[in-house]
Amino acid sequence: MSVLLDVKDIAKSFKLKGHWYHKRKLNALSPLSFAIEAKKTLAIVGETGSGKSTLAKILVGAETPTTGKIYLNGQLLKNQHFKQRCQHIRMIFQDSGTTLNPSLTIQELLDEPLILNTVLNEKQRKNLIRTTLQKVGLLGDHMNFYPHMFSGGQKQRISLARAIILQPQVIILDEALAALDPSLRSQMINLLLDLQQQMGLAYILISHNLGIVRHFSDDVMIMSQGEVVESGKTIEVMRNPQHKVTQKLMMSQNFQIK
Amino acid sequence: MNLLDIRNLSIELDTPSGRVLAVDRVSLSIKEGEVRGLVGESGSGKSLLAQAIIGVLEDKWHVHADRFHWRGIDLLRLSIDDRKALLCRDIAMIFQEPMSCLDPTTLIGEQLSEAIDTSQLSGYFWQRKKQRKEAVIKLLHKVGIKKHEQCINSYPHQLTEAICQRVMIAIALAGRPILLIADEPTAAMESTTQGQIFRLLANLNQLKNMSILLISHDLENLTHWTNTITVMYSGQFVEAGSTEQIFNKPMHPYTRALVDSSTKANLQLPTKSRLMTLPGSIPVLQHLPIGCRLGPRCPRAQQTCVAAPTVSNYHGHKVSCHFPLLRETGKKVKGSH
Repeated sequence: MSVLLDVKDIAKSFKLKGHWYHKRKLNALSPLSFAIEAKKTLAIVGETGSGKSTLAKILVGAETPTTGKIYLNGQLLKNQHFKQRCQHIRMIFQDSGTTLNPSLTIQELLDEPLILNTVLNEKQRKNLIRTTLQKVGLLGDHMNFYPHMFSGGQKQRISLARAIILQPQVIILDEALAALDPSLRSQMINLLLDLQQQMGLAYILISHNLGIVRHFSDDVMIMSQGEVVESGKTIEVMRNPQHKVTQKLMMSQNFQIK
Repeated sequence: MNLLDIRNLSIELDTPSGRVLAVDRVSLSIKEGEVRGLVGESGSGKSLLAQAIIGVLEDKWHVHADRFHWRGIDLLRLSIDDRKALLCRDIAMIFQEPMSCLDPTTLIGEQLSEAIDTSQLSGYFWQRKKQRKEAVIKLLHKVGIKKHEQCINSYPHQLTEAICQRVMIAIALAGRPILLIADEPTAAMESTTQGQIFRLLANLNQLKNMSILLISHDLENLTHWTNTITVMYSGQFVEAGSTEQIFNKPMHPYTRALVDSSTKANLQLPTKSRLMTLPGSIPVLQHLPIGCRLGPRCPRAQQTCVAAPTVSNYHGHKVSCHFPLLRETGKKVKGSH
Protein backbone atom coordinates (compact mmCIF):
# COMPACT_ATOMS: atom_id res chain seq x y z
CA MET A 1 0.00 0.00 0.00
CA SER A 2 1.24 3.46 -0.76
CA VAL A 3 2.48 5.74 1.93
CA LEU A 4 0.00 8.45 2.90
CA LEU A 5 1.93 10.66 5.27
CA ASP A 6 5.70 10.69 5.17
CA VAL A 7 7.60 12.62 7.80
CA LYS A 8 11.30 13.11 7.24
CA ASP A 9 13.77 14.28 9.88
CA ILE A 10 11.44 16.60 11.73
CA ALA A 11 13.14 18.47 14.56
CA LYS A 12 12.13 21.36 16.76
CA SER A 13 14.22 23.46 19.08
CA PHE A 14 13.17 26.45 21.11
CA LYS A 15 15.42 29.39 21.89
CA LEU A 16 15.58 30.13 25.56
CA LYS A 17 16.13 33.55 27.00
CA GLY A 18 19.73 34.29 27.59
CA HIS A 19 22.46 36.76 26.96
CA TRP A 20 22.94 37.32 23.25
CA TYR A 21 26.38 35.87 23.02
CA HIS A 22 25.34 33.19 25.47
CA LYS A 23 22.27 31.81 23.76
CA ARG A 24 20.79 28.53 24.91
CA LYS A 25 18.65 26.16 22.95
CA LEU A 26 16.13 23.57 24.10
CA ASN A 27 15.74 20.60 21.83
CA ALA A 28 12.07 19.68 22.12
CA LEU A 29 12.28 17.17 19.32
CA SER A 30 15.32 15.43 17.91
CA PRO A 31 15.17 14.53 14.21
CA LEU A 32 12.67 11.75 13.64
CA SER A 33 11.06 10.15 10.61
CA PHE A 34 8.07 7.93 10.16
CA ALA A 35 5.47 7.02 7.54
CA ILE A 36 1.82 6.02 7.77
CA GLU A 37 -0.36 4.25 5.22
CA ALA A 38 -4.08 4.76 4.79
CA LYS A 39 -6.32 2.76 7.17
CA LYS A 40 -3.43 2.36 9.59
CA THR A 41 -2.95 3.76 13.06
CA LEU A 42 0.28 4.97 14.56
CA ALA A 43 0.36 5.31 18.33
CA ILE A 44 2.74 7.71 20.05
CA VAL A 45 3.42 6.89 23.68
CA GLY A 46 5.49 8.87 26.11
CA GLU A 47 5.58 10.86 29.32
CA THR A 48 4.99 14.57 29.65
CA GLY A 49 7.78 16.55 28.08
CA SER A 50 8.65 13.73 25.73
CA GLY A 51 7.74 15.87 22.73
CA LYS A 52 4.64 14.02 21.57
CA SER A 53 2.40 17.07 21.71
CA THR A 54 5.03 19.16 19.95
CA LEU A 55 5.07 16.56 17.20
CA ALA A 56 1.28 16.73 16.90
CA LYS A 57 1.39 20.51 16.72
CA ILE A 58 3.99 20.39 13.97
CA LEU A 59 1.92 17.93 11.97
CA VAL A 60 -1.23 20.08 12.05
CA GLY A 61 0.82 23.18 11.36
CA ALA A 62 0.39 25.00 14.66
CA GLU A 63 4.18 25.03 15.03
CA THR A 64 6.81 25.23 12.34
CA PRO A 65 9.55 22.63 12.51
CA THR A 66 13.15 23.83 12.76
CA THR A 67 14.26 21.30 10.16
CA GLY A 68 12.64 18.53 8.19
CA LYS A 69 9.85 18.00 5.69
CA ILE A 70 6.38 16.51 5.69
CA TYR A 71 4.97 14.85 2.57
CA LEU A 72 1.29 14.03 2.14
CA ASN A 73 0.66 11.68 -0.81
CA GLY A 74 4.10 12.56 -2.09
CA GLN A 75 3.34 16.28 -2.00
CA LEU A 76 5.42 18.57 0.20
CA LEU A 77 3.38 20.41 2.85
CA LYS A 78 4.52 24.00 3.09
CA ASN A 79 4.72 25.59 6.51
CA GLN A 80 2.46 28.57 6.03
CA HIS A 81 0.06 26.89 3.65
CA PHE A 82 -2.78 26.20 6.06
CA LYS A 83 -5.56 25.79 3.53
CA GLN A 84 -3.97 22.74 2.00
CA ARG A 85 -3.02 21.25 5.32
CA CYS A 86 -6.15 21.78 7.40
CA GLN A 87 -8.27 19.98 4.84
CA HIS A 88 -6.23 16.83 5.05
CA ILE A 89 -4.88 16.72 8.59
CA ARG A 90 -7.35 17.33 11.43
CA MET A 91 -6.99 17.08 15.17
CA ILE A 92 -9.19 16.07 18.13
CA PHE A 93 -8.25 17.28 21.58
CA GLN A 94 -8.46 15.74 25.01
CA ASP A 95 -11.08 17.92 26.63
CA SER A 96 -13.94 18.22 24.19
CA GLY A 97 -15.91 20.42 26.58
CA THR A 98 -13.51 23.33 26.32
CA THR A 99 -12.73 23.09 22.61
CA LEU A 100 -16.30 23.79 21.49
CA ASN A 101 -17.38 27.43 21.45
CA PRO A 102 -20.25 27.65 23.96
CA SER A 103 -21.95 30.58 22.24
CA LEU A 104 -22.42 28.83 18.88
CA THR A 105 -24.88 26.12 17.96
CA ILE A 106 -23.54 22.85 16.59
CA GLN A 107 -24.57 23.91 13.11
CA GLU A 108 -22.57 27.14 13.34
CA LEU A 109 -19.62 25.26 14.80
CA LEU A 110 -19.53 22.76 11.97
CA ASP A 111 -20.28 25.44 9.37
CA GLU A 112 -17.06 27.32 10.05
CA PRO A 113 -14.60 24.87 8.47
CA LEU A 114 -16.97 24.46 5.51
CA ILE A 115 -17.25 28.19 4.83
CA LEU A 116 -13.51 28.63 5.07
CA ASN A 117 -12.46 25.62 3.04
CA THR A 118 -15.20 24.71 0.56
CA VAL A 119 -17.30 26.38 -2.12
CA LEU A 120 -20.58 24.71 -1.08
CA ASN A 121 -23.76 26.80 -0.85
CA GLU A 122 -25.86 27.05 2.27
CA LYS A 123 -28.18 24.17 1.48
CA GLN A 124 -25.37 21.80 0.59
CA ARG A 125 -23.53 22.74 3.77
CA LYS A 126 -26.59 22.01 5.86
CA ASN A 127 -27.05 18.64 4.23
CA LEU A 128 -23.40 17.78 4.77
CA ILE A 129 -23.64 18.73 8.44
CA ARG A 130 -26.71 16.54 8.82
CA THR A 131 -25.08 13.50 7.25
CA THR A 132 -21.86 14.02 9.22
CA LEU A 133 -23.75 14.17 12.50
CA GLN A 134 -25.53 10.94 11.60
CA LYS A 135 -22.21 9.36 10.74
CA VAL A 136 -20.88 9.92 14.25
CA GLY A 137 -24.04 8.54 15.84
CA LEU A 138 -25.94 11.72 16.63
CA LEU A 139 -29.22 12.95 15.15
CA GLY A 140 -29.42 15.52 12.37
CA ASP A 141 -31.68 17.65 14.56
CA HIS A 142 -28.89 18.01 17.09
CA MET A 143 -27.44 20.77 14.90
CA ASN A 144 -29.66 23.38 16.54
CA PHE A 145 -28.43 22.53 20.03
CA TYR A 146 -25.73 24.32 22.00
CA PRO A 147 -22.67 22.44 23.32
CA HIS A 148 -23.80 22.64 26.97
CA MET A 149 -26.85 20.51 26.14
CA PHE A 150 -24.68 17.48 25.38
CA SER A 151 -22.95 15.02 27.68
CA GLY A 152 -19.19 14.50 27.61
CA GLY A 153 -19.31 11.55 25.25
CA GLN A 154 -21.59 13.37 22.83
CA LYS A 155 -19.31 16.43 22.86
CA GLN A 156 -16.42 14.20 21.88
CA ARG A 157 -18.54 12.93 18.99
CA ILE A 158 -19.13 16.52 17.88
CA SER A 159 -15.38 17.16 17.90
CA LEU A 160 -15.05 14.06 15.77
CA ALA A 161 -17.73 15.34 13.40
CA ARG A 162 -15.83 18.63 13.12
CA ALA A 163 -12.69 16.67 12.28
CA ILE A 164 -14.19 14.44 9.58
CA ILE A 165 -16.50 16.99 7.93
CA LEU A 166 -13.81 18.05 5.44
CA GLN A 167 -13.08 14.44 4.38
CA PRO A 168 -9.54 14.46 5.76
CA GLN A 169 -6.96 11.75 5.30
CA VAL A 170 -5.18 11.94 8.64
CA ILE A 171 -6.72 12.54 12.07
CA ILE A 172 -4.59 13.22 15.11
CA LEU A 173 -6.13 12.08 18.40
CA ASP A 174 -4.34 13.96 21.17
CA GLU A 175 -5.40 11.99 24.27
CA ALA A 176 -8.90 12.11 22.83
CA LEU A 177 -10.00 9.00 24.67
CA ALA A 178 -8.45 9.71 28.07
CA ALA A 179 -11.16 11.85 29.62
CA LEU A 180 -14.10 9.63 28.67
CA ASP A 181 -15.90 7.17 30.91
CA PRO A 182 -15.08 3.50 30.17
CA SER A 183 -18.40 2.53 28.57
CA LEU A 184 -18.38 5.65 26.38
CA ARG A 185 -14.73 5.12 25.56
CA SER A 186 -15.40 1.72 24.04
CA GLN A 187 -18.29 3.20 22.04
CA MET A 188 -15.91 5.86 20.75
CA ILE A 189 -13.23 3.28 19.87
CA ASN A 190 -15.80 1.27 17.90
CA LEU A 191 -16.93 4.41 16.09
CA LEU A 192 -13.38 5.44 15.24
CA LEU A 193 -12.57 1.98 13.91
CA ASP A 194 -15.72 1.95 11.75
CA LEU A 195 -14.91 5.37 10.31
CA GLN A 196 -11.37 4.27 9.59
CA GLN A 197 -12.69 1.42 7.45
CA GLN A 198 -15.35 3.53 5.74
CA MET A 199 -13.29 6.61 4.95
CA GLY A 200 -9.81 5.14 4.73
CA LEU A 201 -8.48 7.39 7.48
CA ALA A 202 -5.06 7.19 9.03
CA TYR A 203 -4.95 7.93 12.76
CA ILE A 204 -2.14 9.20 14.89
CA LEU A 205 -3.08 8.27 18.44
CA ILE A 206 -1.35 10.00 21.31
CA SER A 207 -2.12 8.11 24.47
CA HIS A 208 -0.61 6.66 27.59
CA ASN A 209 -3.16 3.91 28.09
CA LEU A 210 -1.35 0.86 26.76
CA GLY A 211 -4.54 -1.21 26.63
CA ILE A 212 -6.04 1.18 24.11
CA VAL A 213 -2.78 1.42 22.21
CA ARG A 214 -2.64 -2.38 21.93
CA HIS A 215 -6.19 -2.63 20.71
CA PHE A 216 -6.26 0.35 18.41
CA SER A 217 -2.92 0.76 16.71
CA ASP A 218 -0.83 -1.06 14.12
CA ASP A 219 2.46 0.63 14.82
CA VAL A 220 3.78 2.26 17.94
CA MET A 221 6.45 4.84 18.63
CA ILE A 222 7.71 5.33 22.16
CA MET A 223 9.22 8.71 22.89
CA SER A 224 11.28 10.04 25.74
CA GLN A 225 12.77 13.52 26.03
CA GLY A 226 12.23 14.36 22.38
CA GLU A 227 13.70 11.18 21.01
CA VAL A 228 12.15 8.04 19.64
CA VAL A 229 13.51 5.27 21.82
CA GLU A 230 11.62 2.37 20.31
CA SER A 231 9.32 1.85 17.37
CA GLY A 232 7.81 -0.97 15.39
CA LYS A 233 4.70 -3.12 15.16
CA THR A 234 2.65 -2.70 18.34
CA ILE A 235 2.40 -6.39 19.14
CA GLU A 236 6.09 -7.02 18.65
CA VAL A 237 7.17 -4.03 20.72
CA MET A 238 4.82 -4.97 23.54
CA ARG A 239 5.77 -8.64 23.50
CA ASN A 240 9.41 -7.90 23.74
CA PRO A 241 10.13 -4.37 24.99
CA GLN A 242 13.78 -3.54 24.50
CA HIS A 243 14.30 -0.05 25.87
CA LYS A 244 14.21 0.82 29.55
CA VAL A 245 11.54 3.50 29.05
CA THR A 246 9.19 1.02 27.39
CA GLN A 247 9.75 -1.54 30.09
CA LYS A 248 9.09 1.04 32.78
CA LEU A 249 5.86 2.14 31.11
CA MET A 250 4.62 -1.42 30.82
CA MET A 251 5.60 -2.18 34.40
CA SER A 252 3.76 0.86 35.70
CA GLN A 253 0.52 -0.28 34.09
CA ASN A 254 0.99 -3.95 35.04
CA PHE A 255 0.80 -4.72 31.38
CA GLN A 256 2.02 -7.95 29.90
CA ILE A 257 1.38 -9.72 26.63
CA LYS A 258 2.34 -13.32 26.12
CA MET B 1 -15.24 -6.09 62.77
CA ASN B 2 -16.65 -3.70 60.24
CA LEU B 3 -15.03 -0.33 60.46
CA LEU B 4 -17.69 1.46 58.51
CA ASP B 5 -21.12 -0.04 57.99
CA ILE B 6 -23.62 1.84 55.88
CA ARG B 7 -26.96 0.35 54.97
CA ASN B 8 -29.37 1.93 52.48
CA LEU B 9 -27.93 5.42 52.35
CA SER B 10 -29.93 7.83 50.21
CA ILE B 11 -29.00 11.35 49.23
CA GLU B 12 -31.65 13.72 47.93
CA LEU B 13 -31.24 17.10 46.27
CA ASP B 14 -33.74 19.95 46.39
CA THR B 15 -34.30 21.31 42.90
CA PRO B 16 -36.93 23.77 41.62
CA SER B 17 -38.83 20.82 40.14
CA GLY B 18 -38.93 18.82 43.35
CA ARG B 19 -36.57 16.49 45.13
CA VAL B 20 -34.26 14.32 43.08
CA LEU B 21 -32.91 11.08 44.47
CA ALA B 22 -29.24 11.37 43.56
CA VAL B 23 -28.02 8.34 45.49
CA ASP B 24 -30.58 5.58 45.94
CA ARG B 25 -30.16 3.16 48.86
CA VAL B 26 -26.49 2.32 48.61
CA SER B 27 -24.84 0.00 51.11
CA LEU B 28 -21.14 0.03 51.82
CA SER B 29 -19.05 -1.68 54.43
CA ILE B 30 -15.34 -1.44 55.04
CA LYS B 31 -13.41 -3.89 57.18
CA GLU B 32 -10.33 -3.01 59.15
CA GLY B 33 -7.14 -3.02 57.09
CA GLU B 34 -8.98 -3.40 53.81
CA VAL B 35 -8.58 -1.53 50.54
CA ARG B 36 -12.01 -1.11 49.04
CA GLY B 37 -12.53 0.26 45.56
CA LEU B 38 -15.60 2.29 44.72
CA VAL B 39 -16.12 2.31 40.97
CA GLY B 40 -18.63 4.28 38.97
CA GLU B 41 -18.76 6.42 35.88
CA SER B 42 -19.29 10.16 36.08
CA GLY B 43 -22.59 11.02 37.70
CA SER B 44 -22.81 7.77 39.60
CA GLY B 45 -22.73 9.53 42.95
CA LYS B 46 -19.48 8.04 44.19
CA SER B 47 -18.02 11.39 45.23
CA LEU B 48 -21.34 12.35 46.85
CA LEU B 49 -21.22 9.16 48.88
CA ALA B 50 -17.69 9.94 50.04
CA GLN B 51 -18.67 13.46 50.99
CA ALA B 52 -21.72 12.17 52.85
CA ILE B 53 -19.51 9.82 54.85
CA ILE B 54 -17.29 12.61 56.13
CA GLY B 55 -20.25 14.97 56.35
CA VAL B 56 -19.18 17.88 54.21
CA LEU B 57 -22.26 18.12 52.01
CA GLU B 58 -24.11 21.40 51.78
CA ASP B 59 -27.55 21.94 53.33
CA LYS B 60 -29.37 21.43 50.05
CA TRP B 61 -28.43 17.76 50.09
CA HIS B 62 -30.50 15.54 52.39
CA VAL B 63 -28.90 12.37 53.64
CA HIS B 64 -30.86 9.44 55.09
CA ALA B 65 -29.60 6.05 56.11
CA ASP B 66 -31.02 2.96 57.74
CA ARG B 67 -27.74 2.29 59.42
CA PHE B 68 -24.60 4.35 59.66
CA HIS B 69 -22.12 2.79 62.04
CA TRP B 70 -18.50 3.75 62.57
CA ARG B 71 -16.61 1.13 64.62
CA GLY B 72 -19.82 0.10 66.31
CA ILE B 73 -20.92 3.64 67.17
CA ASP B 74 -24.23 4.71 65.66
CA LEU B 75 -23.42 8.03 64.04
CA LEU B 76 -27.06 8.87 63.37
CA ARG B 77 -27.72 9.11 67.11
CA LEU B 78 -24.84 11.49 67.79
CA SER B 79 -25.20 15.23 67.61
CA ILE B 80 -23.58 16.96 64.68
CA ASP B 81 -20.68 18.31 66.75
CA ASP B 82 -19.92 14.93 68.29
CA ARG B 83 -20.06 13.28 64.92
CA LYS B 84 -17.69 15.84 63.42
CA ALA B 85 -15.22 15.44 66.25
CA LEU B 86 -15.27 11.67 65.85
CA LEU B 87 -14.93 11.65 62.10
CA CYS B 88 -12.25 14.37 62.03
CA ARG B 89 -10.12 12.22 64.28
CA ASP B 90 -10.52 8.96 62.43
CA ILE B 91 -11.17 9.69 58.75
CA ALA B 92 -9.08 11.70 56.31
CA MET B 93 -9.70 12.44 52.68
CA ILE B 94 -7.55 13.30 49.69
CA PHE B 95 -8.84 14.73 46.45
CA GLN B 96 -8.01 14.75 42.78
CA GLU B 97 -5.94 17.60 41.35
CA PRO B 98 -3.71 18.10 44.39
CA MET B 99 -2.32 21.35 42.96
CA SER B 100 -5.67 23.06 43.29
CA CYS B 101 -6.35 21.74 46.78
CA LEU B 102 -3.18 23.16 48.34
CA ASP B 103 -3.05 26.83 49.24
CA PRO B 104 -0.95 28.48 46.51
CA THR B 105 0.15 31.37 48.72
CA THR B 106 1.47 29.37 51.66
CA LEU B 107 4.64 27.35 51.96
CA ILE B 108 4.26 23.57 52.05
CA GLY B 109 5.91 23.43 55.47
CA GLU B 110 3.35 25.81 57.00
CA GLN B 111 0.44 23.94 55.49
CA LEU B 112 1.76 20.70 56.90
CA SER B 113 2.43 22.07 60.37
CA GLU B 114 -1.09 23.50 60.43
CA ALA B 115 -2.44 19.99 60.07
CA ILE B 116 -0.58 18.67 63.10
CA ASP B 117 -2.74 18.72 66.18
CA THR B 118 -1.23 20.24 69.34
CA SER B 119 -2.34 17.24 71.37
CA GLN B 120 0.19 15.12 69.50
CA LEU B 121 3.08 17.24 70.77
CA SER B 122 4.55 16.67 74.18
CA GLY B 123 6.73 19.06 76.08
CA TYR B 124 6.62 22.69 77.08
CA PHE B 125 5.49 25.48 74.84
CA TRP B 126 9.03 26.60 73.99
CA GLN B 127 9.79 23.11 72.69
CA ARG B 128 6.68 22.96 70.55
CA LYS B 129 8.03 24.77 67.50
CA LYS B 130 10.95 22.44 67.15
CA GLN B 131 8.79 19.37 67.74
CA ARG B 132 6.34 20.54 65.16
CA LYS B 133 9.06 20.89 62.58
CA GLU B 134 10.36 17.44 63.40
CA ALA B 135 6.86 16.04 63.01
CA VAL B 136 6.54 17.70 59.60
CA ILE B 137 9.82 16.18 58.43
CA LYS B 138 8.74 12.78 59.74
CA LEU B 139 5.48 13.03 57.82
CA LEU B 140 7.32 13.89 54.61
CA HIS B 141 9.63 10.92 55.07
CA LYS B 142 6.59 8.70 55.58
CA VAL B 143 5.26 9.57 52.15
CA GLY B 144 8.63 9.06 50.52
CA ILE B 145 9.89 12.62 50.10
CA LYS B 146 13.57 12.59 50.92
CA LYS B 147 14.49 16.20 50.17
CA HIS B 148 12.39 17.50 53.05
CA GLU B 149 14.20 20.81 53.50
CA GLN B 150 13.63 21.78 49.86
CA CYS B 151 10.00 20.66 49.96
CA ILE B 152 9.15 22.57 53.14
CA ASN B 153 10.42 25.81 51.66
CA SER B 154 8.57 25.67 48.38
CA TYR B 155 5.15 26.70 47.17
CA PRO B 156 2.77 24.19 45.55
CA HIS B 157 3.44 25.49 42.03
CA GLN B 158 7.13 24.75 42.36
CA LEU B 159 6.51 21.04 42.88
CA THR B 160 5.38 18.37 40.46
CA GLU B 161 1.91 16.90 40.66
CA ALA B 162 3.09 13.62 42.14
CA ILE B 163 4.95 15.41 44.94
CA CYS B 164 1.88 17.59 45.59
CA GLN B 165 -0.28 14.47 45.92
CA ARG B 166 2.28 13.05 48.34
CA VAL B 167 2.07 16.26 50.37
CA MET B 168 -1.73 15.91 50.40
CA ILE B 169 -1.38 12.36 51.67
CA ALA B 170 1.07 13.61 54.31
CA ILE B 171 -1.48 16.19 55.45
CA ALA B 172 -4.12 13.48 55.59
CA LEU B 173 -1.78 11.27 57.63
CA ALA B 174 -1.08 14.03 60.15
CA GLY B 175 -4.20 13.14 62.12
CA ARG B 176 -3.27 9.43 62.13
CA PRO B 177 -6.50 8.37 60.49
CA ILE B 178 -7.92 4.86 60.55
CA LEU B 179 -9.67 5.29 57.22
CA LEU B 180 -8.35 7.24 54.25
CA ILE B 181 -10.81 8.19 51.54
CA ALA B 182 -9.02 8.81 48.26
CA ASP B 183 -11.30 10.45 45.71
CA GLU B 184 -9.68 9.77 42.32
CA PRO B 185 -6.18 10.45 43.67
CA THR B 186 -4.50 9.83 40.32
CA ALA B 187 -6.89 11.44 37.83
CA ALA B 188 -5.04 13.23 35.03
CA MET B 189 -1.66 11.88 36.08
CA GLU B 190 1.05 10.07 34.17
CA SER B 191 0.89 6.32 34.37
CA THR B 192 4.29 6.10 36.01
CA THR B 193 3.35 8.63 38.70
CA GLN B 194 -0.02 6.91 39.11
CA GLY B 195 1.88 3.76 39.96
CA GLN B 196 3.97 5.62 42.55
CA ILE B 197 0.91 7.01 44.32
CA PHE B 198 -0.91 3.66 44.32
CA ARG B 199 2.21 1.93 45.63
CA LEU B 200 2.51 4.50 48.42
CA LEU B 201 -1.14 3.94 49.39
CA ALA B 202 -0.64 0.16 49.32
CA ASN B 203 2.44 0.52 51.56
CA LEU B 204 0.53 2.63 54.06
CA ASN B 205 -2.21 0.03 54.07
CA GLN B 206 0.27 -2.79 54.72
CA LEU B 207 2.51 -1.07 57.25
CA LYS B 208 0.03 0.99 59.23
CA ASN B 209 -3.03 -1.22 58.73
CA MET B 210 -4.88 1.82 57.46
CA SER B 211 -8.09 1.11 55.59
CA ILE B 212 -8.48 2.88 52.28
CA LEU B 213 -11.59 3.68 50.27
CA LEU B 214 -10.29 4.16 46.75
CA ILE B 215 -12.68 5.95 44.42
CA SER B 216 -12.17 5.78 40.69
CA HIS B 217 -14.09 5.80 37.44
CA ASP B 218 -11.90 3.20 35.84
CA LEU B 219 -12.28 -0.42 36.88
CA GLU B 220 -9.14 -1.64 35.14
CA ASN B 221 -6.83 0.77 36.97
CA LEU B 222 -8.08 -0.31 40.36
CA THR B 223 -8.09 -4.06 40.20
CA HIS B 224 -4.42 -4.43 40.99
CA TRP B 225 -4.63 -2.49 44.24
CA THR B 226 -7.92 -3.40 45.91
CA ASN B 227 -9.20 -6.31 48.00
CA THR B 228 -12.88 -5.65 47.44
CA ILE B 229 -14.81 -3.51 45.00
CA THR B 230 -18.21 -1.84 45.07
CA VAL B 231 -19.68 -0.79 41.73
CA MET B 232 -22.24 1.99 41.40
CA TYR B 233 -24.21 3.19 38.43
CA SER B 234 -26.16 6.43 38.27
CA GLY B 235 -26.63 6.59 42.04
CA GLN B 236 -27.64 2.98 42.51
CA PHE B 237 -25.79 0.09 44.05
CA VAL B 238 -24.81 -2.42 41.37
CA GLU B 239 -22.48 -5.05 42.70
CA ALA B 240 -20.01 -5.67 45.50
CA GLY B 241 -17.56 -8.44 46.14
CA SER B 242 -13.90 -9.33 46.18
CA THR B 243 -11.79 -8.05 43.31
CA GLU B 244 -11.56 -11.53 41.77
CA GLN B 245 -15.30 -12.01 41.92
CA ILE B 246 -16.02 -8.67 40.31
CA PHE B 247 -13.38 -8.91 37.63
CA ASN B 248 -13.52 -12.59 36.74
CA LYS B 249 -17.15 -13.50 37.42
CA PRO B 250 -19.23 -10.35 37.19
CA MET B 251 -22.90 -11.04 37.80
CA HIS B 252 -24.47 -7.72 36.93
CA PRO B 253 -24.83 -6.88 33.21
CA TYR B 254 -23.30 -3.46 33.89
CA THR B 255 -20.17 -4.82 35.54
CA ARG B 256 -19.96 -7.41 32.78
CA ALA B 257 -20.03 -4.60 30.20
CA LEU B 258 -17.39 -2.63 32.14
CA VAL B 259 -15.07 -5.62 32.22
CA ASP B 260 -15.76 -6.48 28.58
CA SER B 261 -15.15 -2.94 27.40
CA SER B 262 -11.82 -2.77 29.18
CA THR B 263 -9.02 -3.12 26.65
CA LYS B 264 -6.65 -4.36 29.29
CA ALA B 265 -8.74 -7.32 30.38
CA ASN B 266 -9.35 -8.53 26.85
CA LEU B 267 -5.86 -8.99 25.52
CA GLN B 268 -6.93 -12.13 23.65
CA LEU B 269 -9.19 -10.03 21.41
CA PRO B 270 -7.72 -9.45 17.96
CA THR B 271 -6.60 -5.86 17.46
CA LYS B 272 -9.09 -3.51 15.86
CA SER B 273 -12.03 -5.81 16.55
CA ARG B 274 -15.19 -4.28 17.94
CA LEU B 275 -15.39 -3.96 21.70
CA MET B 276 -18.44 -5.00 23.69
CA THR B 277 -20.27 -1.93 24.83
CA LEU B 278 -23.58 -0.73 26.20
CA PRO B 279 -25.69 1.42 23.90
CA GLY B 280 -26.72 4.94 24.89
CA SER B 281 -25.18 7.26 27.44
CA ILE B 282 -25.31 7.84 31.18
CA PRO B 283 -28.67 9.41 32.21
CA VAL B 284 -28.60 12.92 33.61
CA LEU B 285 -29.92 13.66 37.08
CA GLN B 286 -33.08 15.38 35.81
CA HIS B 287 -34.21 12.45 33.67
CA LEU B 288 -33.49 9.31 35.63
CA PRO B 289 -35.27 6.13 34.53
CA ILE B 290 -37.54 4.52 37.15
CA GLY B 291 -36.70 1.19 38.70
CA CYS B 292 -33.30 -0.13 37.77
CA ARG B 293 -31.55 2.87 36.26
CA LEU B 294 -29.54 0.74 33.89
CA GLY B 295 -32.84 -0.47 32.35
CA PRO B 296 -32.84 1.41 29.02
CA ARG B 297 -29.24 0.43 28.29
CA CYS B 298 -29.31 -3.11 29.65
CA PRO B 299 -29.19 -6.04 27.22
CA ARG B 300 -31.04 -8.30 29.67
CA ALA B 301 -33.79 -5.87 30.68
CA GLN B 302 -37.33 -7.19 30.90
CA GLN B 303 -40.63 -5.84 32.10
CA THR B 304 -39.90 -6.45 35.80
CA CYS B 305 -36.93 -4.05 35.62
CA VAL B 306 -39.22 -1.03 36.03
CA ALA B 307 -39.22 -1.95 39.73
CA ALA B 308 -35.95 -1.43 41.56
CA PRO B 309 -34.27 -4.78 42.27
CA THR B 310 -33.33 -5.90 45.75
CA VAL B 311 -29.84 -6.93 46.72
CA SER B 312 -29.12 -10.65 46.72
CA ASN B 313 -26.08 -12.21 48.30
CA TYR B 314 -24.20 -15.09 46.69
CA HIS B 315 -21.34 -16.13 49.01
CA GLY B 316 -20.49 -12.55 49.88
CA HIS B 317 -20.90 -11.44 46.29
CA LYS B 318 -23.75 -8.96 46.45
CA VAL B 319 -25.59 -8.05 43.31
CA SER B 320 -28.61 -5.87 42.70
CA CYS B 321 -30.31 -7.19 39.57
CA HIS B 322 -33.47 -9.09 38.63
CA PHE B 323 -31.61 -11.26 36.16
CA PRO B 324 -28.02 -11.70 37.35
CA LEU B 325 -25.57 -13.58 35.18
CA LEU B 326 -25.17 -16.91 36.95
CA ARG B 327 -22.86 -19.13 35.05
CA GLU B 328 -22.41 -21.87 37.60
CA THR B 329 -26.00 -23.01 37.89
CA GLY B 330 -25.17 -25.79 40.34
CA LYS B 331 -23.86 -23.46 43.02
CA LYS B 332 -26.86 -21.20 43.19
CA VAL B 333 -27.37 -20.51 46.87
CA LYS B 334 -29.53 -17.60 47.73
CA GLY B 335 -28.47 -16.22 51.09
CA SER B 336 -30.28 -13.76 53.25
CA HIS B 337 -29.23 -10.16 53.39
